[in-house]
Amino acid sequence: MANRNQIPTSNSALIAMIADEDTVVGFLLAGVGNVDLRRKTNYLIVDSKTTVKQVEDAFKEFTTREDIAVILISQYVANMIRFLVDSYSKPVPAILEIPSKDHPYDPAHDSILSRVKYLFSAESVASGRR
Amino acid sequence: MEVADHKTQSLENGQAAEEEVDEIENDNVLQFMDSMDAYLTLVHSLSSTLRQGWLDLASARHSMGAYRLNTALLDHTSHPAATSLLVDEGKVDSVEPHFTLCKWRSSGNEKLLLGEEQSSHDKSHPQLRHRGATLLSEEKTSFENKASCEIDDQVQKERSKSLSVFGTLVSPKLRAAQLSFETALETLVEIANTRSEMLRAFDKVNQKSGGSKD
Repeated sequence: MANRNQIPTSNSALIAMIADEDTVVGFLLAGVGNVDLRRKTNYLIVDSKTTVKQVEDAFKEFTTREDIAVILISQYVANMIRFLVDSYSKPVPAILEIPSKDHPYDPAHDSILSRVKYLFSAESVASGRR
Repeated sequence: MEVADHKTQSLENGQAAEEEVDEIENDNVLQFMDSMDAYLTLVHSLSSTLRQGWLDLASARHSMGAYRLNTALLDHTSHPAATSLLVDEGKVDSVEPHFTLCKWRSSGNEKLLLGEEQSSHDKSHPQLRHRGATLLSEEKTSFENKASCEIDDQVQKERSKSLSVFGTLVSPKLRAAQLSFETALETLVEIANTRSEMLRAFDKVNQKSGGSKD
């Protein structure tokens, strides 16, 4: 499974990451790291010294870049800028919340599942009854 | 009498149309539930794969030393990503995009992969038979095998290049971590596509329930 190859075309795009050190290092080992001529990277390593503003700026930058198709963001980092992540609704780049070493995935906080969960609420069930 | 028959027929047609609408709604809801189930299953699988990757990284750090495996060693010179995504935004009947993972691409790899594409194109358009046809097909098969071996060599070279950031001799655990994160990437691309399907199905269900409320 790890040895599949693909035929490239001209509309290739990057995977951006906003995550902890181990997650970013792991995905960089898998070859997703990109540094452009202006030394701008497609990742932000979040640690104890990273401010919310830095995370916000990175999120805004990655969501406006045309060469990025998917943004991987640790769920605990997404919780720091939840208002931004939940208000984002474009199809590309797609925002994928991933677990981190110290914070397992919580479906209750996933922005996509939050969007659809109202379908399962008591109110929506009651309003659908005829 | 004729008026009564006409009324009965209209009622039956109305009921049939309602049943058809209900069936479509049920299909939409089922599709949404299936895609949501697939999404949650993939996320669970991703968690397991990432856990394995973190464990391998921790083992590699333990054997190589923390000073040999940290972000200070990352390459900050200009270089393209070896692994990227192909985005297909023009899928029929779909607003949501479709993603395909393209792993370990290099300039050499592209030429070889384009050569592979040409040989697969030739297979679908068979040439006229002539003397030495058997020899020709044997030569084609050996060319394909050679191309496949060269692609594998290129992929291994790209993998080694990625590992070499942390030194020439690296722990086998670091190689294992690399494979785990490659698998995680494949799962993530499936998650992205399943997410698109889920949102598409959700929109259909939403439209119907919004229409019925009106």
